[in-house]
Amino acid sequence: MLSIGQLVDMQWKLGMAVSSDTCRSLNSPHVSLLLKIADTSGQISQRSFEMTIAQFQNFYRQFKEMAAVLETV
Amino acid sequence: MSTHYHEWEKAPSKDAVRQLCADSFPSGAPESWRLAESTAGTLSVSAIEAKELIAALHTLSHHILFHNLTAPEQILVLFPKSFHPSLKNLITKIMLEHSPPWRNEALSNQISLPHLVEMDWRVDMKTASDSVSRMAVPTCLVHMKVEDSSCLRGSGALSSVTVELSKETLDTMLDGLGRIRDQLSVVAGK
Repeated sequence: MLSIGQLVDMQWKLGMAVSSDTCRSLNSPHVSLLLKIADTSGQISQRSFEMTIAQFQNFYRQFKEMAAVLETV
Repeated sequence: MSTHYHEWEKAPSKDAVRQLCADSFPSGAPESWRLAESTAGTLSVSAIEAKELIAALHTLSHHILFHNLTAPEQILVLFPKSFHPSLKNLITKIMLEHSPPWRNEALSNQISLPHLVEMDWRVDMKTASDSVSRMAVPTCLVHMKVEDSSCLRGSGALSSVTVELSKETLDTMLDGLGRIRDQLSVVAGK
């Protein structure tokens, strides 16, 4: 049986990449998330990842859909 | 830009020039003997001359990308004065055409935290457990696939994470995501 942790915290950061070795002027926003997950023994692990703005909009929409479903259940 | 452009006088079709500009762009192109040899064949020059050409085109395309040059005049001045005029115009035109996809590629290849690649979810109803014989507690299960940070970027290796969220957790999370969305509108307005 797959172990499924409980989401206990979410931290976020909205960053703007200013410049890089390939592009002097980037102006590229991105969202970073850090999820804290507690397993059944209470041990906390964390996962962090990044999303483009388009990916974030999609991510947000999916969570809103989840909430909408929860309302009807 | 190097002066070794005499080999261009033998340059074949526009398509070959276009292909060469595209092939010279990726990192590693200037180092590739395989590319130099196939280019040497196409242009009827030596492999060494082809390698120099590829390196020059690579430098040119990356210079254009770095400085985000968008006007032909900005690029035309980069060529040596003695450079063949119509070839110069052709290369400039090709470089400008490729700029948007090259820029997008650079944006998506930036140094970053691992990217979220896939996400799916399910709403479950908990009806019983070892401690409670009857209940009706809705819960969300979210499964995410994230690029594996311990593996090389672009290797395609993914790691999975599955989490459960109570309604309360979900509401708090939505609150946080809503704030990101608000901040994004502020940033977009600037």
